[in-house]
Amino acid sequence: MRVLEPWVAAPLTELLGESGARLALIMTSAGQVVAQHGFTRSLDVMSAAALGAGILATTGELANVVGAPSGFGAVVHQGGQQGVWLAGFDTPRGRWIGLVVFGPESSIGLVRLFFARFAEQVARAAPPLVPVREVLAEGFERELDQSLRALFGAG
Amino acid sequence: MNPEEWSDALRQLTGITGVLGALIISADDGLVVAETAIDELATADVAALAAALVSRAARCTAAMRSAVPSSIHLLAEQGAVLAVAGPPPLWLVAVARHDAELGRLRLLLRDFAGALR
Repeated sequence: MRVLEPWVAAPLTELLGESGARLALIMTSAGQVVAQHGFTRSLDVMSAAALGAGILATTGELANVVGAPSGFGAVVHQGGQQGVWLAGFDTPRGRWIGLVVFGPESSIGLVRLFFARFAEQVARAAPPLVPVREVLAEGFERELDQSLRALFGAG
Repeated sequence: MNPEEWSDALRQLTGITGVLGALIISADDGLVVAETAIDELATADVAALAAALVSRAARCTAAMRSAVPSSIHLLAEQGAVLAVAGPPPLWLVAVARHDAELGRLRLLLRDFAGALR
């Protein structure tokens, strides 16, 4: 598991352990990755984050079109061997998105149950917001490197 | 049995003293198909956990090379969960207090689960 925000680690560990999920990706609604488990290639993480955020944005618009302005709670894709649970949730840091991949050893119901608990725990565990620092050009590359190392390890 | 008859059956089950809720669940995805329960019972959570219980029991009996489970009775200090297999992937699940009429509940669950087909 790799996390950018350390206080996400415990809730995510519980979600993975209790639901039996295979992969998990937590990101901001803009698609910035906060934590991931199970992905081995950075390219897969970035693609999944971008696609997940895109799918939720699309279904949000679809909800408006069909007269459900509060949106859909979650989007589920169920395949023969794997399913994907994609849902947004509110945190003190803004709206985040969780993408959870599960196999036949788990179920939609189980992921739904423990994802809801995960969202509650993250909302409780979030430390107070600190003012956003100005990103300077000379520091940008270093900070990007640090974030990538935190998510994928050195190398 | 059609969905209206399912509702009748679930109402009969919850009519037994001490039964807090009765559900038809899909064991494959852990979701509620039909339910009758008191408001305080989180039926979606019950469905998810009962489906996980069914799945683990099936893996356990497979490892023991014994038959696929057709009913699961989980008796705890304060209550009980009884689940009986219907036509795949449906299971009939009841949640009851520890002082409920569990014998009658068990018999009705078997009858109704068989009639779900």
